[in-house]
Amino acid sequence: MVSRVLSRLLVLVLLLGVLFCARVAWASALALQTLAAEALVPSAAPALLGPIGATGRIGWNCAPEHAAGAPTARGGELPGTEPKP
Amino acid sequence: MRAALLACVLAATVPAVARAQTYPSASPLPRSTAVPVLRALAIRREITTRFALALRDQAAGHWSDAAAELQAVLALAPPEPQGSTAHYDLALAYAHLDRNAAAARELQRAIALDPGFLAAMANLVAIDLARGDLRAARAAADRFVAAAPDSARALYSRGIVALRLGDAATARADFGKLLQQSPRYALAHYDLALAEEHLGAYASAASELSIALALAPSYARARLALGVIYLREGHRAQARAAFLRAAHDAAGDPALRNLADAMLAAI
Repeated sequence: MVSRVLSRLLVLVLLLGVLFCARVAWASALALQTLAAEALVPSAAPALLGPIGATGRIGWNCAPEHAAGAPTARGGELPGTEPKP
Repeated sequence: MRAALLACVLAATVPAVARAQTYPSASPLPRSTAVPVLRALAIRREITTRFALALRDQAAGHWSDAAAELQAVLALAPPEPQGSTAHYDLALAYAHLDRNAAAARELQRAIALDPGFLAAMANLVAIDLARGDLRAARAAADRFVAAAPDSARALYSRGIVALRLGDAATARADFGKLLQQSPRYALAHYDLALAEEHLGAYASAASELSIALALAPSYARARLALGVIYLREGHRAQARAAFLRAAHDAAGDPALRNLADAMLAAI
């Protein structure tokens, strides 16, 4: 009788232990997933292009308009590129 | 003989003397005394002067003063291209005053006046992103790419917006095209990797991140992302090495360093 109670108690403890470990593993996986999402963020948006004078964007020397249409990353003054001299 | 010599010397120096007598360029004199004509000339001169003052204020960081000058320009109903330009410059002033909603409205007015105004489109995408209005940013970015399909800034901007919206297919196409024109641009390789990862193409993502790191070995964010990809593929040892290196390279960025440390602790 006592041994039957003890064995049932042991099974219960083992079950609780398994449940606890599963919960910890699930929480760790969730934490890792959250961290991974934080790690995979897109790059920053480009900085604003500068002001334009009274002659407007059509002028040959309109640097912001040239940068807006430039085909290369450097010409477009994108983040992480060195400014043109 | 002496007189002849003197005459020769004087003749040789006259052009130099004449060249030395330069006068500053003067404003053209009005060719009419009619009041409407003179008024139009005065308004044109006021517009030009206020533009110059606004640009001077912007260069000095006096954004409120610049905004006031540009608002005065717009009150004079300037013709094109000055109208759209004034709206564009006013948007810049508002942006620096943290009035992004007003800045977006001014840029939309600039584009309405000049539908080919690429700089205005570029800034509108950036402003809408800063406001957190991804839907508006996407609309502006689509318009920008349609107006300038080969523009690096257009492709990059729309790619970033697409990534934030979860549209990995568009992001992949845009960054892919950008890299055809700028193959050594490390950030584009990084963002293309994010798109590939989102589409489940982990091998392609790892390849792009490796290229980014070959171009910029201390690119901590790319190293961190590579660690995540390794983890997704089940390569824990490689992931751990990547996170360790990322934590080292992110010495100047506490937030990124903390993230790398947290990833190390979690695996």
